[in-house]
Amino acid sequence: MSFHLQSQTIKEIEQHALETYPEECCGIILEDPLGTISPQEYVRTCGNIQNQRHAEDPKTYPRDARTAYLMDPDDLLRINLESERENRPIKAFYHSHPDHPSYFSEKDKSDALFWDEPAYPDSAYIVLSVYHDGIQDIKAFVWNEQQSDFTPISLIGAGDVV
Amino acid sequence: MSVVVRIPTPLRKMTQNEAEVSAEGSDIASLIDDLENNYPGIKDRICDDQGEIRRFVNIYLNDEDIRFLQGQSTSLDDGDEVSIIPAIAGGC
Repeated sequence: MSFHLQSQTIKEIEQHALETYPEECCGIILEDPLGTISPQEYVRTCGNIQNQRHAEDPKTYPRDARTAYLMDPDDLLRINLESERENRPIKAFYHSHPDHPSYFSEKDKSDALFWDEPAYPDSAYIVLSVYHDGIQDIKAFVWNEQQSDFTPISLIGAGDVV
Repeated sequence: MSVVVRIPTPLRKMTQNEAEVSAEGSDIASLIDDLENNYPGIKDRICDDQGEIRRFVNIYLNDEDIRFLQGQSTSLDDGDEVSIIPAIAGGC
């Protein structure tokens, strides 16, 4: 089993991760399954409001944006509406791990669950590992019903193994 | 007031897979109570033991986050749209 992303999509999310380094980036990849000729992907970058919440309430939000992200809910609402109105399902959520590998952390897992169930069971989660000298690698994770856990899936970019 | 409530995927089991439902309420708090009457258990998913909106749940009235309005006291008008959106977050 594998998960495919268009090479342009990968370029865009890599660029986003580089721009926000050394802080985490986050965003959403929408897909138009019909497209005009072939399926189209749309990268929607989102704000990371972790620093703001950390400054307001460091007890509840002990991490800052170097090691955590909280997607701006205004962006989340806007993109959810676009997804439903334009019939573009959410293909994946992405975020970066600055100066860390591209694992799906315990925090990533627990935050992706809503009452022990995935908040978006049909969407993948993409993690980009980014260091000062560039993108190290990218991994994809999907909800595995049998294991009741998020598990890695091979990420294929426009015919090339990423 | 009758408003449309957009239900997130993980709560749709409680709404017979409906993505949008109609509910009644003069404000957000009474709207949540009306949802609870029609879909028992849903309030517990949205609110904590003290009745506060859980921090990983965002509620929008039209395109405004109710945290920046009057919270659960935010009043509703006929035809309003309320969206319940689970937060997206994580970290290294």
